[in-house]
Amino acid sequence: MSVGVIEVVEDSAVRSALVDSDAEGDELSQDWSHIAKLSKSQVVVPKRGEKDYGPDGTDAQELLLYKARKAMFDSLSDAARGTVIKNLTHAFYVPELHSAFVPKPKGSFMHTIGKVDRKGVCWLTFHELVYLAERGTITPYFKHSERQDHDLDPSLSIEDLYMLFKSPQEADEFAVYAHLKRLGFIVMNSQPRQEMTHREVPKAIPSLFQSFRSLARRQFDIFRTPTYHPLQFHLMRYTSSGQIYDALSKLIPHYVAPKTIQDLQGEKLLTLKEGDSSRSFTFDVWKPQGSFKKKAPGWPDFQVLVVNKNTKDYKFPTYSEMKLLFKNLNTKVDSLVPESLSGKTPPEKGKAQRQSKPVAPHVEQQRRLKKGYRSFILALMDDGLISFVRLTESDFGSEKVWFDPKRSPIIKSNSRNKRKTSSDRSAGK
Amino acid sequence: MPKYIPNAKQYKHPLPIHPLDNLPPLISHNPLSWVYWLYKYLSSTNQLAVNIHVELSSGKHITVADPNEMLYLWRNGFFGTAQLSRSEPTWRQRTLARLGEEDSPQALEHVTQQRRLQRLEFKRQRASFEETKLSLRRQGVDESEILQQERDFLKSLRDREIQLQGQNAVSLRDSDIELFDNEDKLKELEVLELMPVEAVFLTFALPVLDMPIASLLASLCGSRPTYDEIHELCIKYAAYHHYRSHGWCVRSGIKFGCHYLLYKRGPPFHHAEYGVMVLNSEDSMDYTFYSSIARVLGGAKKSFILCYVELCESQDTVLRHWNAGRFDRVFGSYKVGEIMYRRWVPGKNRD
Repeated sequence: MSVGVIEVVEDSAVRSALVDSDAEGDELSQDWSHIAKLSKSQVVVPKRGEKDYGPDGTDAQELLLYKARKAMFDSLSDAARGTVIKNLTHAFYVPELHSAFVPKPKGSFMHTIGKVDRKGVCWLTFHELVYLAERGTITPYFKHSERQDHDLDPSLSIEDLYMLFKSPQEADEFAVYAHLKRLGFIVMNSQPRQEMTHREVPKAIPSLFQSFRSLARRQFDIFRTPTYHPLQFHLMRYTSSGQIYDALSKLIPHYVAPKTIQDLQGEKLLTLKEGDSSRSFTFDVWKPQGSFKKKAPGWPDFQVLVVNKNTKDYKFPTYSEMKLLFKNLNTKVDSLVPESLSGKTPPEKGKAQRQSKPVAPHVEQQRRLKKGYRSFILALMDDGLISFVRLTESDFGSEKVWFDPKRSPIIKSNSRNKRKTSSDRSAGK
Repeated sequence: MPKYIPNAKQYKHPLPIHPLDNLPPLISHNPLSWVYWLYKYLSSTNQLAVNIHVELSSGKHITVADPNEMLYLWRNGFFGTAQLSRSEPTWRQRTLARLGEEDSPQALEHVTQQRRLQRLEFKRQRASFEETKLSLRRQGVDESEILQQERDFLKSLRDREIQLQGQNAVSLRDSDIELFDNEDKLKELEVLELMPVEAVFLTFALPVLDMPIASLLASLCGSRPTYDEIHELCIKYAAYHHYRSHGWCVRSGIKFGCHYLLYKRGPPFHHAEYGVMVLNSEDSMDYTFYSSIARVLGGAKKSFILCYVELCESQDTVLRHWNAGRFDRVFGSYKVGEIMYRRWVPGKNRD
């Protein structure tokens, strides 16, 4: 088995940590047998099991399906449902504003939904209104503008509400909104933000010294840069594979993902100057959390763009559109790797101590490649089915992955640099 | 039995051009060692002693026929695909082993073949069991009873599978006689085929093949091509060169419906972790295009990379460089950017 053996990868630990979150299927559909047990003393609820290999003409599968469905309907119909009239919350839809207000707001939905004005009236966006009405949290009414009192306003059914969507796009957006809300996420309409003021960042001054150094290094490298002439290997000599790779990698230019907050700010400034922010996101999404505050929500965990795959003007974003979206992105920056880990600058002492477990550079590199940098989520509607896609900025061009027996992150040709990296490593410990 | 060679030694060099790694030590206080070092440095070269001979058949098929050269290209960077094997040229060895001429370690292809046979056998068994299950159901046997029987059946299958492993027989066919030439030696039927981008890399970037780059590109794209004729090769090559030069082992991804697979070091060391689709920067495909590739790659636990290649010069400039033979300028005028495409499951991102 000399060839067949695939060497056990030394970084199996990384792999288990980085297992693609959606790799092993999504078993998210509900098993009603558990709920049915609660609602009623059911006799036996069929467990979800393997499907038959093929239809066999008997009704065994039908029977299983019938039992499972019955469990669902039983648990839905047998549960005690209803509400106390005194606790009913009324919401009034104002057609002119295409939103609704709740005169006497109460309930835990206020935690993440709605906007309370100075008079204590809670204003709901249309998505929020439909979502809350679907859940039965509020009772929707249609507000006539000429009347002050609410007594004669007609009540709205769920179907009525659906008819009030202004466009198919809005209905699609609602479907995504409601889906994420039901899963517990905190979802808000995406607001265009001005700048990143409350991200406390030291002023980024492009260090002249660094750019000089990189320039100098480039000067040295010129001697080894290939001319792609057939005779070049008669004139030039490479003493390690790394040098060959280094030389070759200069031919094709590549986009570099901003990796630090400084980089990001630089890019932001550029975008502001250009002033192009035509395409923006639909929703800001936060992971479920107890400490959420509507007034100061902080940076969202994800930003979602909703598109319908079947409309005429649908277009999967091109690369330039994606780049624009990345520039307009306003999410948490935890995905960005601190500069000390990108292998370019030596780690500061304080930072090195804070990290509990130092990780080998090649493992760190693998994580960077797997994780990527900025990302946004595309929610694609296809006849009522939503599929979510995460598009992440990757940067393979900044990573050198060839195997180096010396196991140093960057292969250096002259000995001065070599000494430097070794001293860095000892400082890091 | 051939001696086992560790992978790290067998595939020591990641590229077919080897670095000068046999230089003598340089001792700073011994001037004689400087002279010796300098002599060694100047007298040795990175170049191959003899470039590898390739043949072009019907314009697009680039093949290497010599067994040693085939092996050299495979062992030094995993270039090419052998036509009668999975990728590494093992046909000769496998055939000899099958005919009992030579004792050889088990090749990868054997493992695959055996697995396929087992799978086929399993399917046959399952079908027969499905029949008995059906008859049981028709007789009105209780469902739990059937389930129990099914379990027993699966267990018996598993036991048999374990027994089967390790069995290996020599098989001879009548037509095998035609495999040998007059001197009773096995004919060399297998050739190594190179992807066009691989051939370009091995002539343009590294002087490995015995063919001038201009004539290779002329036979791939025609002698006086328009821009549209060279565009496809140019963006594919720009992406190929980009990943190769950053240390990846790039191989064809046709098995997974994408353009390239990226291996770290090479196939014997790691599974490919990334599947790459090369696209124009202004491409916008139907959603099904992306989702279907992502499904296939996701099923094999690989990440899906959209590699966008952008042309930074005008088409005329590129064409002018091409006709002038300045291929470094041609490929240098493309810029590469990457996007990772991944399905997002909300229920698994709630923390």
